[in-house]
Amino acid sequence: MKLYEYEGKRLFSKAEIPIPNGKVISEPLQWEGKAVVKVQLLEGGRGKRGLVKVTENVATTISEFKKMGYNLFLVEEFIPHSKEVYISAMIDRDKKEPIIIASPEGGIDVESATNVKIFEIPEERGVRPYDVTMIEKYLGVNGLDKIVKGIYNLLLTYEAELVEINPLAITDRGPVALDSKVILEDNALYRHPDILREFNRENVSDGYVELEGYVGIIGNGAGLTMSTMDLVKLAGGEPADFLDVGGGANKEHVKESIIRVASNEKVKKLVVNIFGGITRCDEVARGIVEAYKEVRKPIFVRLVGTNEEEGRKILIENGIKAYEDPLQAIGDAIRS
Amino acid sequence: MRNYGTKVVAGVTPGKGGTEIEGIPVYDNVADAVKEHNIEASIVFVPGKFAADAVYEALDSGINLVVVITEHIPVLDTMRFVKYAKNKGARIIGPNCPGIMVPEQISLGIMPPRAFKKGKIGIASRSGTLTYEVANDLKHIGQSTVIGVGGDPIIGTDLVDAALAFEEDPETEKIVVIGEIGGTSEERLASLVKRGKIKKKIVAYIAGLTAPREKRMGHAGAVVYMGMGSFQSKVTAFKEADISVAQTPFDIKKLL
Repeated sequence: MKLYEYEGKRLFSKAEIPIPNGKVISEPLQWEGKAVVKVQLLEGGRGKRGLVKVTENVATTISEFKKMGYNLFLVEEFIPHSKEVYISAMIDRDKKEPIIIASPEGGIDVESATNVKIFEIPEERGVRPYDVTMIEKYLGVNGLDKIVKGIYNLLLTYEAELVEINPLAITDRGPVALDSKVILEDNALYRHPDILREFNRENVSDGYVELEGYVGIIGNGAGLTMSTMDLVKLAGGEPADFLDVGGGANKEHVKESIIRVASNEKVKKLVVNIFGGITRCDEVARGIVEAYKEVRKPIFVRLVGTNEEEGRKILIENGIKAYEDPLQAIGDAIRS
Repeated sequence: MRNYGTKVVAGVTPGKGGTEIEGIPVYDNVADAVKEHNIEASIVFVPGKFAADAVYEALDSGINLVVVITEHIPVLDTMRFVKYAKNKGARIIGPNCPGIMVPEQISLGIMPPRAFKKGKIGIASRSGTLTYEVANDLKHIGQSTVIGVGGDPIIGTDLVDAALAFEEDPETEKIVVIGEIGGTSEERLASLVKRGKIKKKIVAYIAGLTAPREKRMGHAGAVVYMGMGSFQSKVTAFKEADISVAQTPFDIKKLL
């Protein structure tokens, strides 16, 4: 679960990481002096989209953003600074330990940074003074003790996938986190009800990912679904989404999934790819037929598994194209 | 599993000790089961919140192979029990995996027998249903052993460990690797091949050509952060190591 910038900064405060003084609001606000107004969105790239503004006139800026359809803002004091750096904490999948990632190139997309260094800090011993001095030396700045310990502790305490400060401003009064990007691990949220309550959030992730294309994609199993998207692309189509119905999918779940994907206006047709082991194909077919009555968009179904012949028969009787071969199903879908 | 020849000797569910399911005795804890039977492996189906407890219990009872089928185990739990197992010299397969199978001999997990046949190809895969798809497509050649390593960010046995095991396995002639976006196990495997540590022929397939960055594609482990483990990075690493990369799961057989 990705947090809003202001939520991440609340966690920063708890961890004693300095942040600018600021206010979260949804209406224009009177503010003395120079300030930064930032639209609160879960998507990244706000800077590039002009949704972060340095202004002397906060109320006007907010009114302008509101006209563009945005409704939640973080207004912060402007922080003069001499330098910006990048720092984040995550779990290294291969080392199986927490790591700190640092770059002296702050404020930019870290993927395009040319100098990035990883510092492994094993959980067993935690952050030690020499970790901090090595990171400070690499970044060419001082006073990072609270920052390094802060992001490291947040990572482990709240079970985050990523705790990122980009940029971290270096000022006369020390480092200040100008932005926050915190992603909490969905599987561990049940251990942090206090955070969900404090931010009034609930975990609604169901694995659906929307893409840019027009071919709706449903599969069983993450790898097979991803592979189906790729096959659609290779056949000349553009996938519209990723949706994995999982193993042993029942009729209702299949029906809801198809309606979900088909309700995306961009979707012109759907490809359903089911390779069932224990999945009952007749059950899946009935779910597809019920959904088809409501969505009325062409559906191309590859259906293999227990009772597959029965399943394909049910589909064909109801005017839905059914296949054993996924490439044929996808090919027909693209050509249709 | 039993139909496939796996000797399931005991079940463990706290509070159900002393009962039986289909003639198999159920115990309150693993230690009780170990006293009565010679146990070589444990399979964990316990829900995510309690799975770590089940893994520790199996490890502390001296079981050296633990297959964790469960999905949605918090990463920190997995990180800790995988290290714990390593210190004990035990092997974990998974979490979030379909298990391991030697076709027509034994299955520890949930792979559907209909997709597999005995043969000489070793398959190591990060995805369940995609493994079935590929195995099914290679049915005319058959498989020596199939390892579903699991779709989580941290797993006990990764593609590299599996490929090294196949390199040593006299029953395996060629290796099929089914990877996906996220993590760097494919890149590390490529580097081993480049250094001559694995000599058997490898054919690879990577899912996620069309996956957008920083979006999780179903599997907890299928996500690209900081540009690490992108589709392109994996394909490039394999090609540099002269590993054939199949464009679709159905091109693997041609490349073998």
